Amino acid sequence: MSGLEIPTNDRVIVGMDSLDDAGVYKISDDLAIIQTVDFFTPIVDDPYWFGQIAAANALSDIYAMGGTPKTAMNLVGFPLKQMDISILREILQGGLDKMKEADVMLVGGHSVEDSELKYGLSVTGFVHPDRILTKKNLNAGDRLVLTKPLGTGVINTAIKGGVASVEVIDKITRLMATLSRDVAEVMKQYPVHACTDITGFGLLGHLAEMVDGSGLGVALDSKNIPILSEALDYAAMGLLPAGAFKNKAFREPMVEFSSSVNPLIRDLLFDPQTSGGLLICIDRDDADKLVDELNQKGINESAVIGEVISAPPEKILVN
Amino acid sequence: MKEIDARGLSCPAPVLQTKTAMEAEQLNAVRVAVDNEAAQQNVRRFLESQEFEVSLEKDSANYFVIGKCGEKTLTQPKAAPAAEARQTKIMIMIATDRIGYGDDELGLKLMVSFIRTLKEMGPDLWRLVFVNNGVKLAIQSSESLADLKEMEDSGLQILVCGTCLTHFHLLEQKRVGETTNMLDIVTAMQLADKVINI
Repeated sequence: MSGLEIPTNDRVIVGMDSLDDAGVYKISDDLAIIQTVDFFTPIVDDPYWFGQIAAANALSDIYAMGGTPKTAMNLVGFPLKQMDISILREILQGGLDKMKEADVMLVGGHSVEDSELKYGLSVTGFVHPDRILTKKNLNAGDRLVLTKPLGTGVINTAIKGGVASVEVIDKITRLMATLSRDVAEVMKQYPVHACTDITGFGLLGHLAEMVDGSGLGVALDSKNIPILSEALDYAAMGLLPAGAFKNKAFREPMVEFSSSVNPLIRDLLFDPQTSGGLLICIDRDDADKLVDELNQKGINESAVIGEVISAPPEKILVN
Repeated sequence: MKEIDARGLSCPAPVLQTKTAMEAEQLNAVRVAVDNEAAQQNVRRFLESQEFEVSLEKDSANYFVIGKCGEKTLTQPKAAPAAEARQTKIMIMIATDRIGYGDDELGLKLMVSFIRTLKEMGPDLWRLVFVNNGVKLAIQSSESLADLKEMEDSGLQILVCGTCLTHFHLLEQKRVGETTNMLDIVTAMQLADKVINI
């Protein structure tokens, strides 16, 4: 979009000029709407689960902004000549079941004939204008909490290559289809300063967006970052997706790894995620309480992974 | 040195092509050509995981990964121990839970007896693969479970098709063998000296 002039007005609270997960438009002093859209090509073979994952992924942006998703529309690209229409039905059923789980009303949609199958949602959510969470507003001393383990990009590459075991496919399919709704509900009761969801740019790519322009830095403790063990195995076999290398090439200048950090872990911190967890920046005194409460709610793999530091500014140190 | 041309392919295809070539023949030196850096790094990782010594080269448009195996290196990822290498490698693929057509009750009994008697093949029996209805022999309620466990404990590799277990909703009930995929099954067929289909 660079080079295009985008009109705006004072009701656009979060717009095109920020790198945030969704746009926010203020309706009144106590109500704003959040709008987001996301769709992609299949990542798992099972159409029903693909539908669930695509829906969970699209809804995630609303949760990351501190909002509650309310309505959605289906977006479909379907190769009618090559595929049986029953496959589309299963995808839509998967998406619909995920929307029901999220208490979101499906109110429409649009489909086009396409050479490649694609599915996703456009979602609208509500948020109080004073309680919007963006990638900005970090404070020195804040803790960072991650709510899902990393490694879905590597494992999706292993699935594409036909080398992933059935158990692993089952495990990450469920992980990617898990809504961040419960995390968002717990998060609303805490003084959270900033939040984003981890998707295509990987943990370090999304963290770099938070740090960029903040005047502050971040120190991560790699031993506390949840990573799927199978992802380490597949990364050692050379199954990193090309996106991980792109993310690394783009953001590596902002990152300083201590020499003790294993090269496989360095790469996995750049692994692009599908429907990844939320990365929550929270006051230091509340971080452990938040993680305890998330664990009690069954979000077992959430962890405090690092802290915001005042120097060096706009760098990410990984120990 | 074996040359592998994986140019024009994106990840994970270059790694898979290298893996397939190495499993098909005993290679102790390879030179893999790719056209992007991500593929070069991934092939390097793969060769290192196979204990090759790896060096990287680059010309104007191509990237190369050169791998040479050290003295202790085995070129197959799941290479058999040296003592076993001289024996015939027999793979048996079982795609049913009963033997033959006619009387089903008889067929089921015959299968139990067949599996019990397989031990007589001794160490030549190298891999036992269960697909389709055959996976029902590897679950909790199977009459052959004790025999299969005994064979697995004595070193036989038993592979059970994961797609099939999922299809029959039996993934949780599998009690013996490793869950496997079609790539492992096809690779095993290629490495076996003899494949017997039941």
